[in-house]
Parts: sequence; structure tokens; C-alpha cells
Amino acid sequence: MDKDFINENKTIEEIKNTFHSAEAKLQRKNRIIVKLRSDLIPPFLSYAKNYLSFDHLAHFSCVDWIEDNQFELVYILYSYEKNIIAIVKTRIDREKAEFVTVKHLWRQAETFEREFHEMYGINFTGNNRLTEFILEDWDDIPPMRRDFDTMQYSKENFYTRPGREDAQDVREVITKKSGEKIPDFAKEFSVRKLK
Amino acid sequence: MAINLKGIVSPYNALKQIGRKPHTVQYPFQKKEAAQRYRGFHYNDLEECIGCGTCATICQNEAIDMIFIDGFETTSGDSGLRPRVDNGRCCWCALCVDSCPTGSLSLTKDYLHVSDDPDTFLLVPGLDNPEGKENLSWISNGNSLLDYQRIPMPELEGKERVKSFAEVVLGYSEDQARAEAARCVGCGICTDNCPVHMHIPEYINAIARGDDEMAVKIIYDNNPLGETCGKVCTRRCEEICAVSKRGEPIAIRWLKRYATEKAKNKDILKEIVNPTILPPNGHSVGIIGAGPGGLTVGYYLALRGFDVTIYEAKDHAGGMIMYGIPKYRLPIDSIDKQIEYMKSIGVKILFNTKVGKDISFNELKQKHEAIYIGIGFEVPYKLGIKGEDAEGSIQAINFLRAINSEKHVEIGDKVVVVGGGNVAIDAARVSRRLGAEVTILYRRRVEDMPADWEEIEGAEEEGVIIHPQAIPLEIITDENNKVKAIKYANAEMIPDPKGGRPRPKIIEGDEHIIEVTSVIAAIGQEADYSFLPQEVLESIEIKRGRIVVNEYQQTKLPWLFAGGDIANRRADAISAIADGYRAVKGIEMLLLNKEIKNGGRLN
Repeated sequence: MDKDFINENKTIEEIKNTFHSAEAKLQRKNRIIVKLRSDLIPPFLSYAKNYLSFDHLAHFSCVDWIEDNQFELVYILYSYEKNIIAIVKTRIDREKAEFVTVKHLWRQAETFEREFHEMYGINFTGNNRLTEFILEDWDDIPPMRRDFDTMQYSKENFYTRPGREDAQDVREVITKKSGEKIPDFAKEFSVRKLK
Repeated sequence: MAINLKGIVSPYNALKQIGRKPHTVQYPFQKKEAAQRYRGFHYNDLEECIGCGTCATICQNEAIDMIFIDGFETTSGDSGLRPRVDNGRCCWCALCVDSCPTGSLSLTKDYLHVSDDPDTFLLVPGLDNPEGKENLSWISNGNSLLDYQRIPMPELEGKERVKSFAEVVLGYSEDQARAEAARCVGCGICTDNCPVHMHIPEYINAIARGDDEMAVKIIYDNNPLGETCGKVCTRRCEEICAVSKRGEPIAIRWLKRYATEKAKNKDILKEIVNPTILPPNGHSVGIIGAGPGGLTVGYYLALRGFDVTIYEAKDHAGGMIMYGIPKYRLPIDSIDKQIEYMKSIGVKILFNTKVGKDISFNELKQKHEAIYIGIGFEVPYKLGIKGEDAEGSIQAINFLRAINSEKHVEIGDKVVVVGGGNVAIDAARVSRRLGAEVTILYRRRVEDMPADWEEIEGAEEEGVIIHPQAIPLEIITDENNKVKAIKYANAEMIPDPKGGRPRPKIIEGDEHIIEVTSVIAAIGQEADYSFLPQEVLESIEIKRGRIVVNEYQQTKLPWLFAGGDIANRRADAISAIADGYRAVKGIEMLLLNKEIKNGGRLN
């Protein structure tokens, strides 16, 4: 396998030699994954752009790892010269969601960061355009955080269109026909949650 | 001044396009064909749909309601409800389609809906757009989120099984049970077909969530023989399981078995079920026969504070589940555990006490305010052919009873079993375990056999030969009146002109003889009512061997209740349990409710 991906493995070697704590590995043809400590991200991205020819920030996304109390930032870089995609991942604290901007490397990062500020509540120092983006007058916790209850929010803020009151509960309809009486202690185990 | 000829002529160049096919879509005369897998409005095949409501449950936007529509009613296997989609909320994710058990729900290529009335966004797929059927784009073939394959039950191999009476089914491991329980969509359609209406989705969900003790508690809410049913139930629930429409039904019986077996002994069982036992209410009820029905009556009446005594003719409780069902299906330890648990909550059982012999019925009548009869069908039908009284010609029920009582029965090495029900299969499989070669003679075709298909398969795996369309004519005996051979004739199936099931007709001259050492007849049983005094027999109504009862299992005599085989035609344990459960309600109403008029008749 090593012989097949000379370019990829060479890049991985270079990364490991420069950033000793980086976890870099081949994912598949033309694709490598790099995991890094968050404080090494600005120097690493600068190095990747200027020395490894990863000219292009193709995508930038965020994952809410609520169980680990962390956010994961994922930078997807592309090198035209090498024809390699580098997926660069790092984790930051979820409680104190702060990171540094990379807009000086790629202008489009500014807009991604603006989105994460609004959707996840992450503050990017150095980015002075963290203003309202696509949500208008948002007054709840950032909606892409996994602890945001979409259904609850929808019920509190929007009215239900009339005309749906005749909806039936399947389990209730069947118990009514058969005469089955579900004891109270079992009701919470009804998948369909009897009222 | 030069004329710009080119400038004048050029525009007319466009005329050459006349007659060519335009690249634009002539809306609204033409519609733009959507992509192959476009996710537009829903379509529902209303006949295929069973109203399980899985679409409504999974919808992340609460866009789907289950509603009654004209022409569909709640029946066995169909809730009668159909989905209605609020297209103002739908996001066309197609989760509803991908999780539809029947595959009735699809998405179509239609995506245009123009109206100035926002209420018209509520559409009943299939009813409001019958034309959608021709335009399906996203169907649930191949990309279903449901798992249609059952987790296979580990079993002993056929060759191993015939060596002993060890339990054939080995039971699910914890991982297997959780995985199987996770297949359930929780609709509850199955509960309607269960004679007792057990809380099936609830206990399966408890198992899926890892709370096995809660599952046991839920099972015991209306079935005091959960472990027995977990092993030998005829599981009518699985017949109408929503998942069975396209795949293998959820193994409801095996999951019940898994949960109930978690309680290793009666003390653990009592601790888990932890039933509320009401203080004595001073009423006394007598129960004749400790079969599944009688035990159910005893258990729930005892919990409700009644003083109950069960009179059992034999030395073990359980009735047919003890003496009829072979031990490789239901081990005696399991029965004992369940009976001991019942005794521990206050059910009294008098063994070796045959009513009519050891105690008279009238004595019972004086002792108790109400009586439940659950004596079952114990007297076998005879074949009615020559040679039947010979040595070596036995009745399956007597045979199974003897084997289950650990008595020795001499059957020799070549056995013919006559019949096609579960009793016949049991007798055949037991005979195999005793080392005999076994042939089953059955009047009709294999597909007509009333026995469970799993039982039939099990018998075949164990080397039982099934000879369908064979009618026994005579048992041939030797000079010592011992069975020597059986003569039978092959039969052809004559369709019933009235539309009933085809009847077998003997093919003249197509007679054969098999040499045998024993013939076991298993063609049905009936009840023995001789213990009932004449005046009781005259007051109640007996139709075709069964006592006529009302919805509370009450006979024509208000204080007399009956259930099980003597009152229903289903002839299985779960129906007897259901009868018992209904009788409990009836007896409770009769004895606790002072306002009952009409001489105590409950309907």
C-alpha cells in the first residue's frame, strides 16, 4: 500500500517531521487526515499553505462533541500541485468556545467563522465581522449546538396550523379496540408515548 | 450611403429555427420531468398500508398525523388509521419512506402545489393523489432503515436432539436479545391478536433499553405464565407483526422467553414482579384444574385478596403444559419455578384431589362462592377402526402424559402416529427420542396440518417421516392381539364446492401396509364432564363438547365459570390464560359488586 501512495505518504512524513505531536495518516488515495493540538493550528495552516502548497481552503466545518464537552473544527485544504486533500482536525473547549481566526490565510474563512459564531457560539479572536449572519433576532442558545431542542423551540415560537386536531395515537386506537389496559408503570415504555 | 445589408438580413436568420424542437419547457402546457430519485409529494398505497404509524413516529418535523379515513376500520392487523402529511412542515427527507415496514409509502416526482388557501397543504397520500402511483420516485426498496432479518435462535442440532429430552431451543444471549428487540417498530398492532392482549411493544422496548426486569414486570401484568408462553406460545401476535409484511416478524415469543428466564428462581421472580397483594376480602373461590387457565384465575384473584383453592387431580400443576407438552420444549424446572412463585403469593393448590372422586362437586359448591372449571380436554378420541384395542395401540395424550410422568412406555422401534396437530408432532418427536423410527399419517396435505410449522420442521429435522393424504383403515394384529402392522389408503383432495378446505377422499385400491410395533392416535380430545351433578349439567349449556360462556366466561349458572379448551376452540395455553383473565374480571364483579341484578348474570 505504501508504494501506491508515494505523494501522500511523503506529505505525511513531512508533516510529522515538522510537527512532532501531529497525528497524520492516510485515509485513502489523495486524502490525508491530520489531527493537531488547537494551539498548533495557526502555525500548521500557515506551514501547509506556504510550504506544502495547500493553497486552497475548500471547506471549514464544526462538530459538536457534547459528550466530550468539546467542539471539533475541521479545515479541509486542497493542494492543486499535489492533488491531495488534507483534512485538518482540532478540538477546542465547548464551555469557553474561543479560537483564533485564520482569515489572514484565506479570506473565505471569515464567513465560515461568522457562521460558526452564530450557529455554535464560537468566538474567533481577530475576526471583527462576527455580526448577525442568517438568523434574525436570535434569542436562544446557538441552534446548531446539540443541546438545542428544535422541536421545543418550534412549539414555543410558532403556532400550530389548525386542522390537525383529529390526529390519533395508533397504540391508543388498538388498545381501545382490544380492551387492553396498559399499567401506568409500563406507559413510559410505549414507543408511541401514550398521553 | 452604403446599406448595411448584413444588419438587415441577420435577424431573419432566426427563422431557420422554425420547426426545430425548442430547448425550453412550455410551462404550463408541458411539465418539467423531475430527476429519477426526486423527493416530491408522498404517495401511499392505502390497501398495503396497515396504519402502524411508524412514519408519524419517525418524522422529525411532526408533519405526519395518523387519522381515520372513510373505508378503513380497525381490524386485526390494521389500525385503520392512515397518514396525513402537512406539506407545510415536511422537509422531504424521506425518513418516513425509508422506515415504512410495509413499503406502502413512497415519494413521487410531483412537486407543484399552487393554492391561495394554506390549509390545502394537508394531504392524505394516496387518497388525495391517486395518480401519484404512476409517478413514484423514492420507494423503500433496498434503502429501508428497518432490519427484516430475525436474529436466528440458537438450537441443538437435529441429530443431538433425538439423543435426549434436553431443551431444543437454547435461548438468546443478551446481545442477541437487544438486537432482536431493536428491530421492533413499537406500533402495537400485534397486541390485538394476542388473546390476553399482552403489552408487547412495552416489554420489547424495555428489553431494547436494557431493562429486563421491567420487561418481566410488564409481562406479569396480565400473564402469570410468561415463561411458559415464552417457550411454547402459539404466538398469534407474530402473524400480524408489521415487520412481517416484508420480512421476518419480531421474535416476540423468544424475547419473552429471554426476559422471563432472567428470573432464575421464584424468589428473584417475586422480587422483580413485586406484585401488590390486597388484604383478604373474605370471598372464597374454588378452581377445578391447575392448568394455565385455572392458574391464571388463581393468581390474579389471590392478588386481589380472594381466598383461592385449586383442586388438581394429578400430582403436578400445569395441566397440559405439564403433561401434554414434551420436556424438550418446556422443562419441568421452569414449570415448577412458576408454580412455586404462585404459591408464594397465596395460591393454594390441592394435589391428587379429583373432583367427583376425592371431593364432591356439591362440597365445593358449599365451600366457595364461585367456581371456575378449567379441566381441559383429557379424553382422547378413538380412531374408530378395527384392531384399535390391541396391545401397542395407544392414544397420544396418554402416551405423552406417561412420558412426562417419567413412566416407561413400550413402543418398540417402528411407530406410526396418526394425526397432524401439535399433539401428533409432539408424540412423534418423543417417539424419536425413545429410539423409534417414526412415520406420521395425516389425512390432508402438509400445508393443512394444524401444527406449528416450526414444530413440523423440527420433526422433519429429527428424522420423522411425514406421510400426508393417508387415511388409516385397520390395525393388523398378531395371534396375541399385539399390533403388527397398520393398513392405510392414500387419498386425493376433493375441492369443497362451498369454498371450504378440500376434503380427502380415499383412492379405491391404493392401499398399503406398514409393519409397526406401535400405533399412536392423535386425532383430538374431548372433556369428561361426569363429575358435574345432573342438575348442574342440566342448567348449563354444552354445545359440541364445549361449555357455552359469556364474555366473562360465566356459564348459565351465575356462580359457575369455565375456560380453556372446554370453552374455546383455540386449544392453546394463551387462550386458556385469556379465559382465566376474563373470568377474574367476572368473578370480581360478581362477588365485590353488590349492585349486580339479573340474578348475577353479568351481561
